[in-house]
Amino acid sequence: MDELLRRVAAVDPDRVAVVTHDVTRTYGQLADDALRVAAALTARKIRRFAIAEVEAAAVLPLLAGASLVGAEACQYPPDGPDELRALVERFDHDVLVTDRDDLQGIALEVLAVGDLLAGAGSEDGGVELPEVADDAVRPHLVLTTGTTGAPRGVRHDWNRLVRGTARVRPAPEERWLLAFGLHQFAGLQVLLHVAASGAALVAPAPRRPIEGLDAMRALGVTHASATPTYWRFLIAQMRSDGGPVPALRQVTLGGEAIPGPLLGELRTAFPDASVSQVYAASEFGSTGSMRDGRPGLSVDVLERGDEADVDMRIVDGELWIRSRSGMLGYHGEPEIDADGWRATGDRVEIEGDRILFRGRTSEIINVGGVKVHPLPIEERVAAVPGVVMARVFGRPNAMTGAIVALEVVTAPGTDPDTLKAAVKAACADLAPASRPRSIKIVDDIATTGSKILRREP
Amino acid sequence: MSTATADVQKTVTDFLSSIEKLPEGFGADTPLYADGAGLDSLETAELSATLEDVHGSDPYSVGEMPQTLGEILAFYAGA
Repeated sequence: MDELLRRVAAVDPDRVAVVTHDVTRTYGQLADDALRVAAALTARKIRRFAIAEVEAAAVLPLLAGASLVGAEACQYPPDGPDELRALVERFDHDVLVTDRDDLQGIALEVLAVGDLLAGAGSEDGGVELPEVADDAVRPHLVLTTGTTGAPRGVRHDWNRLVRGTARVRPAPEERWLLAFGLHQFAGLQVLLHVAASGAALVAPAPRRPIEGLDAMRALGVTHASATPTYWRFLIAQMRSDGGPVPALRQVTLGGEAIPGPLLGELRTAFPDASVSQVYAASEFGSTGSMRDGRPGLSVDVLERGDEADVDMRIVDGELWIRSRSGMLGYHGEPEIDADGWRATGDRVEIEGDRILFRGRTSEIINVGGVKVHPLPIEERVAAVPGVVMARVFGRPNAMTGAIVALEVVTAPGTDPDTLKAAVKAACADLAPASRPRSIKIVDDIATTGSKILRREP
Repeated sequence: MSTATADVQKTVTDFLSSIEKLPEGFGADTPLYADGAGLDSLETAELSATLEDVHGSDPYSVGEMPQTLGEILAFYAGA
């Protein structure tokens, strides 16, 4: 990470790297900050630490400084003290870096961001940074969301992550919105892409669609990557407030299965933008992007052979991946073959020349022994006039184990009974087990980390 | 909504009407399945969810298998 910042800083130290409504930091400033953080970590003998900050301008030097000296940083999600105390215990973090008043005392040592940005300090001035061999692991820990159980720590190596940016071309004119948190792998992906291309990161906080739309308009965002759920909320917000359409040149989607109609909606909403999809996850990293505007992946990504950095295959309807930029393993769990094949948990089907995503294996609804995929039902419901958003999930049921349940956010002025009838009519030709048996009109769709939650919490 | 007999009866008859399975002369003793209303397992699951949504509980979720409207009404009367 530090290497990417320093590469740009060497040729153009005054180039803007991070922009918020309040702060602008250049590549030169971030590289200097990272050096001081590296010195502070060395002087304090810190080899592992957690970060509880959301401001990208503060987090970036911490990540880059850690990568420079081979210390393992772990960005926490923006949760409350109880949740973060549990993370401190679960992931054995003795050191927490934060400026939050409510987190004092939850780790053995709580440091302010300024403590590390100050460098080694006058008493320890002139500290010599440790040599880190080129092939040594420069660790970084990413936490999973824990929606299917306790969060796990996904161990990455900055060398492997940076390898995935080798084909990124210089693009100093681009301004990328940070719509993900830096505790999420997708946020790291955006960060790596921006640093590798020498572009600027526009990082509003919090990172909800409403702040994202505001940042797009006020801070000149040209490129943005977000989940389909985020984009749907953002489009709805844009239509609702009637403000100017942001001048986006690139719209990227990833992080969850992408409903086909959404690609068309985005092309209509942002007519000057290219629309592409990325397929990535905390465990296997990024696999590249699809730029043809069609749903799913090309079948060309399958069976590329041992020489390819990323290869995919389908096993019993589930996508498997082998990636040389993927994780090293999980924190506190046995070592794995980092370059080996791994199940993704994504159900897929081949239609023609495309691999289409049908949802997560963990999201499959077992209705009396019949396996039902939520996504195709959601797509069908979303096409009903008056439906703004839809969520399909399994609702426990004594008769059949589960039934297909549906929550719908409706457009203003929509009659609930008329809409329910229209939804039923739209689903009437589905297999009986796939028809929604419980339909509720709701104000909001349950999400986790800007993705639709298709399992009951 | 309350669990008063009239309210529960309305929920059941509205549900059967919505799936076009309300038999003529439907009453407390009309069988819900087979030769009566003819509910299949998925429709019964849907009735269970509907009763729970409207009245806060339902006989199926506590392991009962009411055969008639009368038995559903008895569940709420005894609750």
